[in-house]
Amino acid sequence: MSTKELNTYALHALTQSGAEKAEAILTRTEKTEMNLENGALKLIRTTVDHHLRLTALQNQRRGSLLLNKSDRSVVDAAVQEVLAIAAAAAPDPAHDIAEYQPAKTFNKGGTAPDLDLMYQRFKTFTSEVAAEFPRIVLLNAHLDFTRQTTCFQNSNGVDFTVNQGGYRFAVTFSAQEGPGSSSFNHTGFFTLDLDEELLNGGSLRILLDQANRGQTPRKSPGKFTGEVLITPDCLEDFLHFLLEITISDGPLIAGTSPFRHSLNQLVVSPRLTLACCPVAPEISSGYFITSDGYEAQNATIFANGVLKSFLLSQYGARRTGLPRGANDGGAFVVTPGDHPLTVIMKKVKKGLLLNRFSGGAPSPNGDFSGVAKNSFYIEDGKIQYPLSETMIAGNLISLFQSIAAVSRERIDFGSALLPWIHAHGVTISG
Amino acid sequence: MNIDLSSFKSLFTDYTELRCQENNSLVISFFKGNNTTNTRLSTSGVSARVYKDGVWGFASSPEANADGVKFVVTAATDNAAFLAAKERQSAPPLPRGAVVVHHDPPLTTPPPSPEQLVAFLQEIDRYIAGKYPNLASRTVTLNRTELKKALLTSDGASAFSLHTRSLIQIGLTVEHDGAPVSLQEVFGGRGRFETHFPTPDTLYPQIDQLYEHLMRKREGVYPTAGLKTCILAPELTGILAHEAIGHTCEADLVLGGSVAGTKLDQPVASPLVSLVDFAHTALGEACPVPIYIDDEGTSATDALLIDHGILKGFLHNKETARHFQVPPTGNARAFRYSDEPLIRMRNTAILPGKASLDQMIASLDDGYYLMRPSNGQADATSEFMFGVTLGYEVKNGRLGRAIKDTTISGLAFQVLQTVNEVSREFKWLSGGMCGKKQLIPVGLGGPALKCQVMIGGR
Repeated sequence: MSTKELNTYALHALTQSGAEKAEAILTRTEKTEMNLENGALKLIRTTVDHHLRLTALQNQRRGSLLLNKSDRSVVDAAVQEVLAIAAAAAPDPAHDIAEYQPAKTFNKGGTAPDLDLMYQRFKTFTSEVAAEFPRIVLLNAHLDFTRQTTCFQNSNGVDFTVNQGGYRFAVTFSAQEGPGSSSFNHTGFFTLDLDEELLNGGSLRILLDQANRGQTPRKSPGKFTGEVLITPDCLEDFLHFLLEITISDGPLIAGTSPFRHSLNQLVVSPRLTLACCPVAPEISSGYFITSDGYEAQNATIFANGVLKSFLLSQYGARRTGLPRGANDGGAFVVTPGDHPLTVIMKKVKKGLLLNRFSGGAPSPNGDFSGVAKNSFYIEDGKIQYPLSETMIAGNLISLFQSIAAVSRERIDFGSALLPWIHAHGVTISG
Repeated sequence: MNIDLSSFKSLFTDYTELRCQENNSLVISFFKGNNTTNTRLSTSGVSARVYKDGVWGFASSPEANADGVKFVVTAATDNAAFLAAKERQSAPPLPRGAVVVHHDPPLTTPPPSPEQLVAFLQEIDRYIAGKYPNLASRTVTLNRTELKKALLTSDGASAFSLHTRSLIQIGLTVEHDGAPVSLQEVFGGRGRFETHFPTPDTLYPQIDQLYEHLMRKREGVYPTAGLKTCILAPELTGILAHEAIGHTCEADLVLGGSVAGTKLDQPVASPLVSLVDFAHTALGEACPVPIYIDDEGTSATDALLIDHGILKGFLHNKETARHFQVPPTGNARAFRYSDEPLIRMRNTAILPGKASLDQMIASLDDGYYLMRPSNGQADATSEFMFGVTLGYEVKNGRLGRAIKDTTISGLAFQVLQTVNEVSREFKWLSGGMCGKKQLIPVGLGGPALKCQVMIGGR
């Protein structure tokens, strides 16, 4: 049976067996991955997997079953089990499935990896790093090509098929420092093809160059309230944190989100315009359907600081009475600012270039604290030295309200397009 | 899992590991009284890893049958051959240990049904809602997992292992001055649900205690940022052992330049500190994640990392053991059938000392007592951090105000030099998951420690 035929069979079996509403999602994934460990290519990995997710609603009781099998006999047993799980559940009037939308097929990226080209790009990357950045130690790296076919169908007539393929490259590295090494750092990017050399992707060249300079790290000078220049790598994490505690299902259903009454109001700095763009052409990865079965649309989250959208699922929207989000979040695109990074840097009187944040999960009220990793101390507009053992603390919402500048330059990670952001009000202690 | 791997040994042409695995879990969740999640997850399949001339090939398939096995052995062999031909390295064979055979007994009685479990959680949720109406939100989540693995290697090792874990996570949120304050705790651990949770009311005293802490945290203050004397409760010491020392001592990180690589047989901690990555049994009891044989077929042995302050060893797979010319420790582990084995910790713990926790607090003039951790991270430099979700000021030997969520950090080998008291009270943190490329269950344990660490704050 093809992916589509099996998924259709599973959905039909669910409704025939008594589900009032049902949903079937079958994903077939093939991944080819090359792995480097401590500077040497060590492993090639080929994995094939299936994920079948069946959901049944009966008297507003919802049950789900996720398994990685795709033959008919397994599906028959799974249908009976998911109905039993639903029958055992407590009813919740907010459960539902996506409404009817016209059937659609989405295609993006390649269908098979070019193994020889993957090898060639990987080898060129390691030799270029060795030549250009001799102090760098490549701890591990992997380049994979992943091809997925997903069929999403439900009993309201939703019928989507997605064929998507592309390459993802991720690197963890450090720099030689005396007999040991510096703190490790990591970055990566997604691309639909391997036309470019890997070293030119994402922020790799910038981060490797910084790590390769070889200055001895020091603590920041004492404790002070300072500025931060947040790099694109770090900004993605901070944006995820911010949206998670303010406009996602959890805090909005709990009624504890500080933004719950703020739609179309100024909630962060007017300098910040953020969109989640899973289907934008500038996002190479992205996704076409939401996890609850809607065709994904791009959505502006903050327009010049004004909250334009929540990121609520269908369940969250029904539970809160607020509008459903147009997508599942991520795929961040931040509108660039007017000034180049060099000009913004000159305006930082005393603070940090924050490359990576290693901290505890932020509190529901936005408080965060953690270690400024792979970061640099800035004074009077100039990078002074790399930092070690330096902690930062602040509040995410205040941080994004205090943005002083957004850089003109952005990094294209394939999965996000992000600038540098200059903000105030962070407690820095070394 | 009804496949006899031994019948496929004739397919092996090079050093080969063949693994068949099934991961099952059940998640049931109540959020603010609503039954939001009732999901069972089951993934299973077969994988092979082949070693040839210093490089590896790996392949996996969800089809745990003869065709699936033939596919993964052939694909893994081809992948190894492709890379070996390109890289043209030469490497001696992997060390051959004693042939190991291990078989855990299968479960014989069925677990509670989803219906029973939903009713169980609903009763807990109703208890919280009824007794504590001032809460803004509450979550009650069950996560029951079962990992089954069968292994056959070309060296002759064979195993069937079974690991079960049953956890209930309770999260409470209250509003204070318009802002949410939360606290959560995980109960349970290795073994079956009914062993840990015979009736809902067995959890009520712990839920009451969690609520009392939340009420004090609601009035909490920011800690003063900087280097402070702190007492780490056993729950935090376990994370310290795992994040700060364990990762630094993983031999693949050592080969990548970890600071531990230059400190073997040197003092790295106070003489009060001894640290072991236990295989399956510690202090006379089974560990939270007992490992008798690893996913390379090596018999798992305890790895002594720090002995009375002296760094004594690293964690190894077969390849790094060959490099360092030591016996492998059985630390090669994979989480899913489609994961290749990596060097992973098992049950990492600092050993208990002789002090009493009460006396340790009583002897602290100014500092913090840190009780509950959240997530943590480590670095090759031994710089660590982990979040702290519950703690108190200590002034003149007495617990004072609660503190808000914070993070602590430091260079592990410096922090451990400052340890001047180690409690006799010892506790395993049994719900731990480590995320080094793949998530995997781990055990983290320790006593309370008095030491100096950097604390984040204002």
